[in-house]
Amino acid sequence: MDGCHDTGCDASEIEAEDTLALVGCPNVGKSVVFGELAEEYVDVSNYPGTTVDTTLAEFGDYKLTDTPGVYGISAFDEEERVTREIVLEADAVVNVVDATHLDRDLFLTLQLLDMGIPTVVALNMMDEAEAGGIDIDVEALEDALGVPVVPTVAVDGEGIDDLRERIPEATAPEETAVEEYYDELPEELEATRAEKTLLVEGDEPLAREVDVGGVMADGGSAALVEPGMREVVYGDRRSRVQSIADEVQSVTEIDGGIRETISDLMVNPLTGTPIALAMLGVIFYVIGGLVAQRIVGYTEGLFFGEYYNPAVNEFVGGLIPATGWAEPIEFLLLNDNLGLLTITVQYIVGVLLPLVMAFYLAIGLLEDSGILPRLAVLTDRGLNRIGLNGRAVVPMIVGVGCVTMAVITTRMVGSKRERLISTALLGLAIPCSAQIGVIMGLLAGLGLVWWFGYLGVLVAVLGVAGLALDRTLPGEGQALVTELPRLRVPRPGNILRKTYNRTKMFLREAAPLFAGTALVVSLLDYVGGLEAIMNGLRPLTSLIGMPADFGQILVLGLIRRDFAAAGMTNMALSHAQIFVGLIVITLFVPCILTMTMILKERDKKTAILMWLGSWVAAFTVGGLAAATLGVLGL
Amino acid sequence: MSDVLADVGSGEAVRLVEVPDGDTRARLLRLGFLDGAVECRHQIRSGPVIVRRNGTELALGSALAEEIQVDREGGE
Repeated sequence: MDGCHDTGCDASEIEAEDTLALVGCPNVGKSVVFGELAEEYVDVSNYPGTTVDTTLAEFGDYKLTDTPGVYGISAFDEEERVTREIVLEADAVVNVVDATHLDRDLFLTLQLLDMGIPTVVALNMMDEAEAGGIDIDVEALEDALGVPVVPTVAVDGEGIDDLRERIPEATAPEETAVEEYYDELPEELEATRAEKTLLVEGDEPLAREVDVGGVMADGGSAALVEPGMREVVYGDRRSRVQSIADEVQSVTEIDGGIRETISDLMVNPLTGTPIALAMLGVIFYVIGGLVAQRIVGYTEGLFFGEYYNPAVNEFVGGLIPATGWAEPIEFLLLNDNLGLLTITVQYIVGVLLPLVMAFYLAIGLLEDSGILPRLAVLTDRGLNRIGLNGRAVVPMIVGVGCVTMAVITTRMVGSKRERLISTALLGLAIPCSAQIGVIMGLLAGLGLVWWFGYLGVLVAVLGVAGLALDRTLPGEGQALVTELPRLRVPRPGNILRKTYNRTKMFLREAAPLFAGTALVVSLLDYVGGLEAIMNGLRPLTSLIGMPADFGQILVLGLIRRDFAAAGMTNMALSHAQIFVGLIVITLFVPCILTMTMILKERDKKTAILMWLGSWVAAFTVGGLAAATLGVLGL
Repeated sequence: MSDVLADVGSGEAVRLVEVPDGDTRARLLRLGFLDGAVECRHQIRSGPVIVRRNGTELALGSALAEEIQVDREGGE
């Protein structure tokens, strides 16, 4: 398999600052290939205007960029739109193809080639293909596609050197079968091959651009071609995919074995439900028991309590002159309620950080093992009743910090109706991931029963609110369509990298906000405002049987729910009080970032209604829980 | 003749003949699920149907499965 095929061996076109995009279907190992190729990570950040993460790095003269996994270049959802935009701007593409799913993945490959995008194919997971009885003739595939094909096992670093060497050979065939459809487009249209290909597939964003450009003078129709064209072009491409797949691969059927058995057990409600509950129990024990009790006990109690805080108090206290004007400053920085340099740092570093990291670790495991889509199948039936489908489970679990809100409002495939319902439910009763770590920590001291009790209350609230919304909103929900990737044992390296990136994003988002909140609360405290607020909230806090201090927790909760949870770690409360308090701060108002999202996505009226509604919901449910526990004598 | 996917039993092989919604049809087409026979892996009672073709598994919600027309003869 030596280099040059047909055309485009000329690497001189490529100059520094060129973009190389990694493109492929979900779960084909793109991020692993990315990690192997990248010389240095530049950054993980949201793609502009979206909630989708993209990662940038350097690779030789290229700017290497990762893309969300997609089955084709189109605009069915936000992830696809991001990938589509990156591909349209990329100078070359490494198309990562799962050798065990050649028939599925080649559609995207042929689409990229139809678009004339210089491509190198990394034929990944060759080891799994072999184990699965799939034999692929790599040279024949290279001839059929007309671009370099490099077999790889990215997780073991196999084939990566070859891939690196052949990336400059990235090319696309001079012409492909899609061209016969270009006649359908208006003759005067000036567009690149990539754009023409997408236009005959009825790509709406491009059609609108062309429209605005004035080329299409008449009519406001979104597409330039007949509505049925997309299916004709897709169908034609599928038949090309099939003939290539038939030609280059031979499959010996091998029994799916244990993975298939586990997968079957997980999606069957009878066995899947206990498995899911058991997983919740294990996560609770690891995060709540091990991390919260042992590790946080150490960081918060010993490190901060015994060493850090006294040292800072002494050192900074010594720096600040003991005169009258400096007193407020000293109070803001060092007070033992929420001093900026003492308790604030303790909450962020000593309490939130370890719990958040542990939670992200658990989420990474669920994601990489392929368990999440199976949870979507398992919960689909229940979620259908409240006007959602099983897909809604994924962003609810995976959401990072308060971004959860943004994720669900914009990323989800679905109608306005579904977005409205999920926005409302999320704002109402889904704890953000940082908060749930702290909650597990607090509940772990109480026991497993309290954890399931807490979840039960939340599910009940979600159910009632969801049913009500489903009944009152017009229209119908959309059905679930999701792929079930193979179950696999996750790779530690990948999980650690994800956890690191997410934790970094959490700190970047939460630390400045917490510092600002701490200053405001301390200032209020200093001038006596905090006391007044706590007195004002007294009727509410006593309604749910909480001490007056809980008023401060509520003030923290106005800013971010996880701040409120962290604040509760320092209060002396009974079991019942902890339980009720946690329910109240979970149902309490959406955090400040969420509110800005709601204001942006919806109108002022909805935002105010949701905000006030959550006060009512939080204290009604909290009051009921307190009363019930009182009757039970707990 | 007018069987729907929701009536197909676990383990049966069928062809998906008609999919109502245009976007869903395009997504199934793209993944190869309209090319030929697909195997019904699981028919979860009043829940999603899991279909498989060439090692790719797809879960389809029950409301959708009610609307997808299948051809049982074509599945052989």
